[in-house]
Amino acid sequence: MPEISPAAMATYDLPLSAAGRPPAHAAGSEAFGYLPESLLVGNAVWFCRLRWLVIGILTAFGLLNLVPGLFLRIGLRPQPVWPFVVAAILSVANLGFLAHARRLGRADARDGGKANLWAQILVDLAVLTVVVHYVGSLETNVAFAYLFHIVLACIFFPRAPSFAITAIACALYTGCVVLEETGVLGLAGIYADSALRRLIDRTSAAWLVNVGWAILTWAVVAYLTAHLSGMVRRRDGELAETNRLLVQAQNERTQHMLRTTHELKAPFSAIHANVQLLLKGFYGPITAETRDILQRIAARCDRLGTEIKEMLQLANLESKTQAPLPRVALDVAEVLRRCVAQVRPTAEARGVAIDENLQAATAEAVEDHITMLFANLLANAVNYSNPGGHIRVECTPGSGDGPEVTIEDQGIGIPPDKLPRIFDPYYRTVEAVQHNKESTGLGLAIVRQAAEANAVRVRVASAPGVGTRFTLKLPPAAKPDSSLQSET
Amino acid sequence: MAYLMIVDDDEDFASAAAKALRADGHEVRIELETAAALKAMGERRPELVVLDVMFPENSAAGFDLARTMRHEHPELKDMPVLMLTAVNAQFPLGFSSRDIDDVWLPVDEFLEKPVNLDLLRSKVSALLARQAPVRSGK
Repeated sequence: MPEISPAAMATYDLPLSAAGRPPAHAAGSEAFGYLPESLLVGNAVWFCRLRWLVIGILTAFGLLNLVPGLFLRIGLRPQPVWPFVVAAILSVANLGFLAHARRLGRADARDGGKANLWAQILVDLAVLTVVVHYVGSLETNVAFAYLFHIVLACIFFPRAPSFAITAIACALYTGCVVLEETGVLGLAGIYADSALRRLIDRTSAAWLVNVGWAILTWAVVAYLTAHLSGMVRRRDGELAETNRLLVQAQNERTQHMLRTTHELKAPFSAIHANVQLLLKGFYGPITAETRDILQRIAARCDRLGTEIKEMLQLANLESKTQAPLPRVALDVAEVLRRCVAQVRPTAEARGVAIDENLQAATAEAVEDHITMLFANLLANAVNYSNPGGHIRVECTPGSGDGPEVTIEDQGIGIPPDKLPRIFDPYYRTVEAVQHNKESTGLGLAIVRQAAEANAVRVRVASAPGVGTRFTLKLPPAAKPDSSLQSET
Repeated sequence: MAYLMIVDDDEDFASAAAKALRADGHEVRIELETAAALKAMGERRPELVVLDVMFPENSAAGFDLARTMRHEHPELKDMPVLMLTAVNAQFPLGFSSRDIDDVWLPVDEFLEKPVNLDLLRSKVSALLARQAPVRSGK
């Protein structure tokens, strides 16, 4: 056999499906990356709102400074200028940050939230250093306000930037103290009596211990927060990825089911068509026995046809990949009337009477879903009724909360302990199978899906040997059609 | 009696449907794939096409053929198309809305598989009867 040269061979690498791909790079990297842009922008706006509170506090503090004698009475030095200056600077900056963040939100921008947050934090740290200097860098605990920014940065930023912010805070604080201790900056503490600061200054190790301890505390807090935040974000990312894969798997399963069921139809249709040809004598006369066998095949074909149709209906209702069908204002009584007309021949053949009491009522729903819902409930009512039984079909407009539909039979009923399972696909009670072997067990599963898709509340009441009553509450139409208000 | 075409990749089904339609006196040609069907339509224009949707290499080939007939072949534009599927705007089965939009695909009738042959015959008769005044007017 001649060997084919590799150059002449077309190649194709089978791409791995989502399930076969290595898990979630995104989830792993998310833990060490920035948050999604939308979250960053949301947090930028939230920071701005918090800052207005700080600006308010600074302004109030400045105003209290203006009350003659108040501060001196409680041992504080009046400082009437810097709180207003700092509040003004923060206000201008905050307006800028807020405008930028809102523009990012409106533009659905992919980048910019990070820069906004960085700018906010850097401005805050600089302004805080000024506040620390004026309130007292060593003799008060105000320097621990740096922790707010360190913790928030560690929560919202990846590890490296959050440690950088911690380092900047440490540098600013140390720089402030060093400038004060070297006399470059004059002392400006909040206490009227500066004895405490002088005592600290006289004890050469005191400021080193204070600054060192503060920096050590911030570093530990930053490390712990970044570590815990990273764990939470990694877990969050894993959960999001798992959820995405689950949704994708569900969609793929539904699509596969749709295709498989559809593919099954082709050979089945051929069998069905050929049986019809034989039964109708297209290929000549057949014996009674052959006819009997062919009729059995035809009957099973009909049942399988119904089952395939119901499987497709159910898969379509479950499918999340298709665009939702439009909800329209629906004449519920008219839909019910059509569905009753469809089952009436079967009901009459079984000696079952259907009593209609249909008042005009408008619901907002997908017409085909509601048709399927009614058709299945009515078919069940007919199939599980006894000869001579009555089925009551009622529709009322309800009291403003949407139409109410009742479908009640006097059939075999459902044992109470089995009621919770009747909406499961392929579930059939023993009593139901004994009464009607043709059931597919999909009818009420379709009812459930159609009800869920249209926010229809379904209540079932039943007693074995007495009958079953389904009560449906449909969502009201937003704008009722006045032409449907008169009783039909 | 009319010249009809069944376009379906399932030869067993197409033969059975053809048998039923021939019993009504129609002349029926079977085509198993859409490109050959379009070529055959060019050679001799059928009066009606019974068209399946899903073909092995293209799950919407039936829609594509109908669209081609409607929009690219003026001589086939008005030919009645009976589509063998439950697919419609209410049950899209994963087809795109472009496939099933009535503007894009004004097929004349849908018939769901498995097909009741009596129903197929009556729908074909009804579609041909609807076309009859048009044909006689030409």
